[in-house]
Parts: sequence; structure tokens; C-alpha cells
Amino acid sequence: MTINKISKEEHDQIAKKLHQKAVMRKTLNAIFTVVVYILIAIVFIMPLFYVIGNSVRDSRAIWQNAYPISLRTFIPFEGLTLQNYAKTLGLDPLGTSMGWDISRNLLISLLSAIVVVCLSLIFNTSAAYFFGRLWFPGKKYLLVFVVATMMIPSQVVMVPLYLVVDSLGIINSFWALVVPWYASPFIVFLLTQFMSDLPYEYDEAAIIDGANKWQILWRIVIPNTIPGLVTVSLMEFQFIWNEFYWPLIAISTKNLYPVQVAVASQFTESEPNWGVVFAAMALASGPIIILFLFLQRYFYESVAMSGLKG
Amino acid sequence: MAAISKLEIPRAPWWKRKKFKDAFTAILFALPALVNFLVFRYFPIIWSARASFWEYSLLGGFRKYLGFGNYVRLFGDRLFWQSMGVTAKFFLMYVPIVVALAMLLALFSNQRKPGMGVIRAIIFIPVVTSFVVVSIIWGMLLNKDVGLVNSIIRSFGLPRISFLMDKNNALPTIAMISIWKNVGYSVIVLAAGLKSIPGEMYEAAIVDGANNWQRFWKITIPMISRQLMFVTVWATLGAFQVFIPVYSLTQGGPSRATNVIVYYIYSKAFQFGEMGYASAMSMVLLFVLLIVSVLQMRLFKRDY
Repeated sequence: MTINKISKEEHDQIAKKLHQKAVMRKTLNAIFTVVVYILIAIVFIMPLFYVIGNSVRDSRAIWQNAYPISLRTFIPFEGLTLQNYAKTLGLDPLGTSMGWDISRNLLISLLSAIVVVCLSLIFNTSAAYFFGRLWFPGKKYLLVFVVATMMIPSQVVMVPLYLVVDSLGIINSFWALVVPWYASPFIVFLLTQFMSDLPYEYDEAAIIDGANKWQILWRIVIPNTIPGLVTVSLMEFQFIWNEFYWPLIAISTKNLYPVQVAVASQFTESEPNWGVVFAAMALASGPIIILFLFLQRYFYESVAMSGLKG
Repeated sequence: MAAISKLEIPRAPWWKRKKFKDAFTAILFALPALVNFLVFRYFPIIWSARASFWEYSLLGGFRKYLGFGNYVRLFGDRLFWQSMGVTAKFFLMYVPIVVALAMLLALFSNQRKPGMGVIRAIIFIPVVTSFVVVSIIWGMLLNKDVGLVNSIIRSFGLPRISFLMDKNNALPTIAMISIWKNVGYSVIVLAAGLKSIPGEMYEAAIVDGANNWQRFWKITIPMISRQLMFVTVWATLGAFQVFIPVYSLTQGGPSRATNVIVYYIYSKAFQFGEMGYASAMSMVLLFVLLIVSVLQMRLFKRDY
């Protein structure tokens, strides 16, 4: 037998070689992973740090440190100031007089997002309850009527939507930001799937106890779909907070701009104050990023759910 | 028993029966949402389809019936075709890279190694950030004279690059910004697909002597074809509707190099007030998008 012929020394040597090879491969793999890791972090995070770093120093300091590159380009070591935030939030009379104050726009974005989330919770949930759990002749076709609207690309219908909202007489008002979005076919569709998964025995037991449809919705269906409701609420909030094209065309008064449109109009001014623009950008994206960092699971859930429909 | 009850209880007319009374209360739950969809999703398309046959302006309303006039004009409009060409170019730059990059990042972040959750969160942050803010950030980073990217290029002794003001660079730059913003969404979709592939399949393939490459093409790709289709169709719809980076960074320029179709429609509708003509273009775009997404779905279905 050949196996027996290998002496102990030879055996150790072979084992050592194999071991070294494995260690080598593992190290290379780890180095590769770390390099890619750092690369991804730089490419995706650095721009955001750049914004935060520049929002706490004045415009002169930003451009002085832009070139040549040093650590100062990224990290504000001296001249730290919250002036830019004071100007954008209307706490500094200079900022207000220059039209840099976006506190009102932030409030409008926040308010319209909250109103839409609340309306959506009422109307989408009840519609999903209808589609998921109630009987109606021809309900299948009604669901097709709802699902078909999801095929319509949103940017394409903005011009037509403008015509309709204009004829309702609410263009260029707060209501134009809210009314078209009080219900969403996509969210009705998602919640319908959630609700039709609940076992019907719950309903039957409740009906025997004499509960009507409202009571079943409130006491049984809603408590069992809380994670779904949180997910779709975040989706709506993010949608309204970040929406740009619709408010851009629907709102023509600067006082009524939501924050995204206000930031864009600051940037496209002929002589923007860069420190102020950086602070405004941090305020326009900060809330939603913080929300994401705390509630990551629900954000991923919303993506996974929309991926399912494909 | 059944016969007796039939004899003794006269059947109520259908609208008084409990089943239909229930149906009536049931539809009340859905009514507000259905009204929304009718008024704000279907009606705009009908209205716009009508406006596309008229000379329609914001102030004057339906002014003059043109028949197919707007559509005839559209076919002769050199700028419309130029704009469609720009959009097609953008589509070709954007979609393959988004899908391929998302696949790579999904494979990378799907490894069982520490810190992958953080990586996924980092890639996803641009997705939740507004596109306006993303565009402005990159507009500043890529600025020719003071932008950080050019400072880095300059530190290596290379000449500064004009990213957004050069007609050859502008569209690829817009595509790059859009990829940076959107790729995280596709990564999450594909990673969810990868996670759902049972590990036994790979084990069986290893036993059969399949190498990494074969395992990728014969197992991974077919198993997540549904997610790949979703990501591709979604990226295509996004590519044909790109607007925000163009609006905030280049306004369609330089020399119309970034004059994508949605921006062209926007400028016709809201800068020139030609609503009827813009509606006709919207209708054509809607039609093109329906065809493209149906074709793509067919293409992916053929594999199965």
C-alpha cells in the first residue's frame, strides 16, 4: 500500500503545504473583500459626508480647501459654524432677506407627507379590505381596473394630471400636493395580498359574536397587518417627501414649494451661496436618511414586496 | 327541509337579499380609492388623449380641433426624434450597467461575512435620498473648476475634465449619477432572490464537478430570472423617464446632448405652453413604453 509508505515527516510536510495554501487563499480573499468594502463605502458614502462637512463652514472655507486635496477638503477642522443652518431655517435675518429661508418649505413637505400617509392609511386600507376579504359581484375585474393603473409610467402622465387638477381648481395650492395621492393602486394591491393571507376563521368567529364589517376591520384585520401598514406608510412618506416633478409643475408660488423644489431653485440661482445650499441639502435629505437608518427592515420589505409583483 | 323552506319563505327581490345588501356595504369600503384612480389615473390619460387632437393651451383650453395634426407635426419634428435618440442612448448606457452592477453588488453582499448588512445599507442610502439632492451633490463634485473629482484628477497631474458642460460627456455623466442613485434598489431585489436559492442545489452541482462559472450560469441566473426581469423592466421604465438630473444640472444642454424625452415634453408643455402637442408626445411615449416592457417580459419568459 502506497499510503503506508509516506513517512511521518513527509506527511507533515504535505499537510503544512496544503495548510499554507489554504491560509494564503483565505487571506487573499479577505483582502479582496476589504478592498471592495472600502471602495463601496467611499463611492456611496463620501458624497454625503462631503455635504455634511461643507454645510458647517462658510462658502469661502469650502472653496479654499477644494484644491489641493488634503484632509481639510473633507473634514472641517477650523471655522466650524452653524450659520448656514441658521440662515436656511430662518433664524438669521440675513438668510430671510436673501430668500434662503426654507423652514416654511420643510414644513410644507412634512405636513403634506403626513397628511398623505394618514389619508392613505384610511382609504388604501379600507380598499384593500374590500379586495382582500369581502364579496362583490365582478370584484376580480375591479382589481384588474386597479392593477392596470400600475402599468402607467408616472412621469408620462404628469402633464395630463396637471390638466385634470387644474380643472378641479386646486392647482398651485397645498391641496394639489395631497389630493391626487390620497390613494395608491400599488399600495392597495400590496395590502390586498397581506389581508387575503389572514385565515378566515377569525372573521367567522367575529361574525358569530355579532361583529359587523367595520368591527372586523378594526379589531381583526388591522391588528394583524401592522407590519404591512408600517411598510406602506414609509413608502408613502418617502414618495411625497422626495417627489419633485409633480410639485415643480403644480406649484408656482415660492411660498408653497415643498423642500425639494425649494432646494433646486436655490441651486439654479445665478449666484448661489454654497454653504447655504449644502445646509439646505442636508435638511432636505436628512430626515428620510435617519428614518431609513432606524427602520431599515421596513424599507427593504417594501422593495422586496414590489419585486414580488414582477 | 329545503323544499319546505322554499315553499314557506317567498324570495325577496335581489336588491333586498342579504348577500347583495352586504355587497353594497362592501363596495363603500373601496369607493374613495376607486374614485381616486378614476379621476387621477384614468381620466388624465383620456383627457390627454383628447388634448392630443387639439390645439390646447394652458390659458386658452381646447382652442382648435386639429385631428391628427399634432401627430403629423411630431413625425416631422426633428427635435422630437433627436430627443428620442438621446433617450435611447441613455437607455443603452444605463440599463445594462445597472443590472450588471446590481448583480455584482448583490453577489458580494450576499456572502456570509461580517459587515455585509452595513454594506447593503450604504448602497441603499442613495435610494432613499431625493434625486434633486443627489443631482446637486454630483453637480458640485463634478464641477470643472472646484469639484472634488476634478481636484483628485488634478492631484494625479491629469487635465481637468468638463463632465457636464461637454456635449460628449454630459449624457454619460447623467447616466452615471442615475446609476449611483438607483442601483441599491436593484441590489436589494436581486439579493432577496439569491437568498431564496436553496444551498443544496449548489452542493449537488459541486458534487457533479461544476465550477464557479458553470454554477453561476446554470443555477444562479435561472433561479433569479424573475427578479432579473423585474430589475430590467424597472430600470428600463426609469431610463425612459429620467428627468430630475437633466432639469437640475444641464437643462437639456449642452447643444441638446441631454435633451431626454421627458425633459422635452416638460419644456414644450410648461415653457412654451403647447399642451396639446405635449399630450401627443406623452401618448407616443406611453405607447412606446408599453411595447418595450411587454417585449422585455416576453424575452424573459421564453427561457422557461
